[in-house]
Amino acid sequence: MTSVPGPALQEHRPNAARAMSALSKVRHFTDLPPHIQAALAELALPRHYAAGQVIYLEGEPGTTVYLLESGWVRATRTSPEGREQALLFLRPGEIFGDIAVFNGTVYPGTVVALEDADVWAIDGPALLDLVARHPELALAVIRRLADRVSHFIGLVEDLSLRSVEARLARTLLRNAEKRDGGLFVPRREWTTFDQMATRLGTVRDVLSRALHTLEEEGLLQVGRHEIVLLNPEGLARRGDK
Amino acid sequence: MTSPTDDHLRAAVLRALSTEPQTEGLNLRIGVLNGVVHIGGDVASGETRALAETICGQVAGVRGVVNRIQAPGAPIPSRTIHVDLSNDKGRGQ
Repeated sequence: MTSVPGPALQEHRPNAARAMSALSKVRHFTDLPPHIQAALAELALPRHYAAGQVIYLEGEPGTTVYLLESGWVRATRTSPEGREQALLFLRPGEIFGDIAVFNGTVYPGTVVALEDADVWAIDGPALLDLVARHPELALAVIRRLADRVSHFIGLVEDLSLRSVEARLARTLLRNAEKRDGGLFVPRREWTTFDQMATRLGTVRDVLSRALHTLEEEGLLQVGRHEIVLLNPEGLARRGDK
Repeated sequence: MTSPTDDHLRAAVLRALSTEPQTEGLNLRIGVLNGVVHIGGDVASGETRALAETICGQVAGVRGVVNRIQAPGAPIPSRTIHVDLSNDKGRGQ
């Protein structure tokens, strides 16, 4: 009985050109010299995860860094009471799993594919070796980690200082799309009430009450397939409370 | 760094799963954080999924199990959380 690292690799030889293309879209990695990008691409192995499949579990040894090429994934952390808190929602061009590899510990959260996802898996020790040999790559990694720290500072601020209504208002505004002169949050951005509750660090009932409150105040309208933001300015004010 | 308790629990859970005939050959993934076991992978039946969870939960010191094993009939997304806050035995905390 062993713990295995996930689905079988799609192919034995990495498609370096495809990996280079994926790496070129990563913030802070775009300006890396081509020979460093090529060295990274050489390490990258393609993997495919179906919707709902676990990419890694919290508490698993951090052995691999992942680059999301396509799809949408979510990182969550389970509290000691069994409640889930969303840490990150990741889009293509994002790197994840890096914290555990860089500090030599276990993954701090669980990452699950929310839809079919193609990722590049980079062996942790090999990446560390590359970082040690290339200061430009080390700087890019530091910048990425600084971005991540900024994200988590924002999350701490949200969870500790803002009400659920305020967090909801801010999240809806962040994920709104403009269409026909109006602002809409498509269903894809929250999927289910449970999903949205996890994202906001609350539970379904509280989220439902918060949505109802904002709807009663005329700030939004909840539809089957989307949430219509009727008063973005009012929502922005609510988000600051 | 990883808690030594979690490291020991993970080893104990892997050992427990490998000594049970119905789970020894399974490709399961195991993570342990703060005494809570996280299990993932694919199995052929809901019974095996439930058995793996039971085995993990019976390891001394385990405070809870988050079962993300995919199996026919399992909840989608596959996730069952059982945390026993009273079970702090052997945690050394």
